[in-house]
Amino acid sequence: MKKLVALFLTLSLMVVTLAGCSTGTEESSTSGSTSGESNTSAQTDGKTITLGLTAPITGTHAEYGVGFQAAVEIAMDEINNAGGVNGYNLAVEVMDSKGEPKETSDIVRQFAENDNIQAIIGDFTSSCSMAAAPIVDEAGIVLLSPTASNPDYPGMSDYTFTVMNNQSTEAPWFARAVVGQYIGAKSVAVMWLNTDWGIATHQYLLQGFEEAGITVVADESYAENETDFSSVISKLKSTDPECVVILDQGNVPTVINQIRGTGWDVQLATLGPGSSEQLIQLCGENAEGLIVDTPSFLTPENEEAVPFIDAFKEKTGYAPTDHSLCAYNSVYLLAESIKAIGDGEITREAIKDNLKTAQMDGLAGHVEFNEEGGCSRELLILQVENGKYVVKEDYGYGVE
Amino acid sequence: MKHFIDTIKSTYGKYKVIVWIICSLLLLIFPALIPSNYVMGVVCRILFYATLAGSLNVINGYSGQMCIGHAGFFCIGAYIEAILATQYHINFWVLLLVGGIITAIIGGLIALPTLRMQGIYLSIITLGFSEVVRLIALNWTSVTGGAMGVKGIKSPTLLGFTLSSPKQYYYIFLVIGIVFIFVTNRIINSRTGSAWISIREDELAARSLGIEIKKYKILNFMYGAFWAGVMGAAYAPYTRYIDSTYFSLDEGFNILSMVIIGGQGTLIGPILGAAVVNSLTELLRSFSEWRMVAYAVLIIAMMWLRPQGLVGASDSVLAGDKMKKKKIKVLAKEEK
Repeated sequence: MKKLVALFLTLSLMVVTLAGCSTGTEESSTSGSTSGESNTSAQTDGKTITLGLTAPITGTHAEYGVGFQAAVEIAMDEINNAGGVNGYNLAVEVMDSKGEPKETSDIVRQFAENDNIQAIIGDFTSSCSMAAAPIVDEAGIVLLSPTASNPDYPGMSDYTFTVMNNQSTEAPWFARAVVGQYIGAKSVAVMWLNTDWGIATHQYLLQGFEEAGITVVADESYAENETDFSSVISKLKSTDPECVVILDQGNVPTVINQIRGTGWDVQLATLGPGSSEQLIQLCGENAEGLIVDTPSFLTPENEEAVPFIDAFKEKTGYAPTDHSLCAYNSVYLLAESIKAIGDGEITREAIKDNLKTAQMDGLAGHVEFNEEGGCSRELLILQVENGKYVVKEDYGYGVE
Repeated sequence: MKHFIDTIKSTYGKYKVIVWIICSLLLLIFPALIPSNYVMGVVCRILFYATLAGSLNVINGYSGQMCIGHAGFFCIGAYIEAILATQYHINFWVLLLVGGIITAIIGGLIALPTLRMQGIYLSIITLGFSEVVRLIALNWTSVTGGAMGVKGIKSPTLLGFTLSSPKQYYYIFLVIGIVFIFVTNRIINSRTGSAWISIREDELAARSLGIEIKKYKILNFMYGAFWAGVMGAAYAPYTRYIDSTYFSLDEGFNILSMVIIGGQGTLIGPILGAAVVNSLTELLRSFSEWRMVAYAVLIIAMMWLRPQGLVGASDSVLAGDKMKKKKIKVLAKEEK
């Protein structure tokens, strides 16, 4: 009996294997639509433009992938409820890349061969997006990544776009506009996290300080799993800077608490965490006066963002981050591009051509692409006052 | 069932040449039969993993050493190709060999200190090695591009043709796979192969028969690493962009799972393993979030029913009943 079961299992696996080779394409289009297509109100006469979304729905980055899917669906619902684009409804076909470049390549190939798919949104990581770049280049279909921040990515093809800015623009701006102009500091001490992100950002930040004529009196790094920063802090303290810049994400609350714990009342600014609610919860009074920059202000205090936050929470059960907002914006940018085609035929090529000049103003400020297809976003300056983030300077501050 | 297999065997015996010609022809014109680049992409992945899993099978299956850091060797081969091709514009075909040879040397160096290790200890060392290689790739920014990876790796050319799409790349993977199977088959049936198998079966007995354990173990590791390096070098221009995330421990386990599912210690096993694993993960795509769960359940079920792998030895339908006869003979002798 056992052998018979084993035999059956083996044979069925083989049959499935063989069947997979011949019927893969047809199946893919239907399977995707059952799993992820968002069918919204049919106000238009049934004409639909389908976009492909490749995102890590499972795996390490699942939180962001699920966020992408939710944000894209929210944006499409909004657009479709408002009458669609040029008489077309938008729909999405979602595929799970697990955050692996190999998977993304397969998915993008599949999308490229599916004539119904007019453009692709994704993927979450730069690796995945860059692995897919040669494929979209050959196939001639837009790959708009909401979050790929590798500066090399947008230049890889005419068809590759990203709405995330990279640290080569944010860090120098932070040095010049936030520290130099807004805080008005002449001397600064930097403590930074020694990871690939930290190293790259730190390099751009130092360049920015040099160009802005700000003296860096102390410059100390630490490892990711450190918890006691007292030696670094006392070194910084001895140089008596006007401002301390913390380059980190997860450790920022601990660092701030330890700085304030030594009774040092220096101006603090941090590049990395953005408007993190957790930071205020963990720091309490110690966070007062802290200055952060953020590409988007997704907290309940920001009334404009409330509908998006509520819709997002309803779909996923957690609060959106800037990453999801980027996915949301990606849909609007593609819609802008489709709108710009006007009465012309909606083709992949036309979407690419019009996407280059597409722009929008929304929750993340003004968004438009540069020549390569990259994006330099404007940022907000926030300060913590009475346990809340307050917008001090709007988008466009300190832009040269 | 047995009758069925026998019929197939006798038919095959009669028309051996014709069967071979038809099979080779089918393999040759396969890309022309499949219009979709996506399906060809999956086929390429199967061929690619078949050789990569095959090279791991040489280490794990034939000499019984337990290497789980195969992604490390794969990584070295890929980075050698990527760096030398983009910076020094060396020909792809040369780099296939160079990648293989350098990886083999590194494989030999890894084998040296691990000669006294066995089983789980060797596994842990290879695991560590794989992570070290990945971290070097991630942090040695000036050479490997660090987190930015290496981009713009040129597609190989042959007689003026650029081989870039999966349809064209199919032939590269196919030829490498055939060469691998051919060479490995010869080695397994040679003195060296017998030495490897005897080490796997009983190291002490092998030593008492005068087999130089050290030499053959190192040779085994080097041979496996060589092919992993070749596959790495072949893979880098296929994706045209690599970074350290391709070579995580997950990748190592992925390769290992193909070897184990297919059946260790058989030439056909890793090929079948690669085909099953890669097509299953593609076919289960419609399960969305449940895909990997469904995949895992299938693997558990398979391991429960066939712990020796699909074609692993004994009473497998695919392996034929060669081993079964032997077993019965042995049992019969014992009974006497």
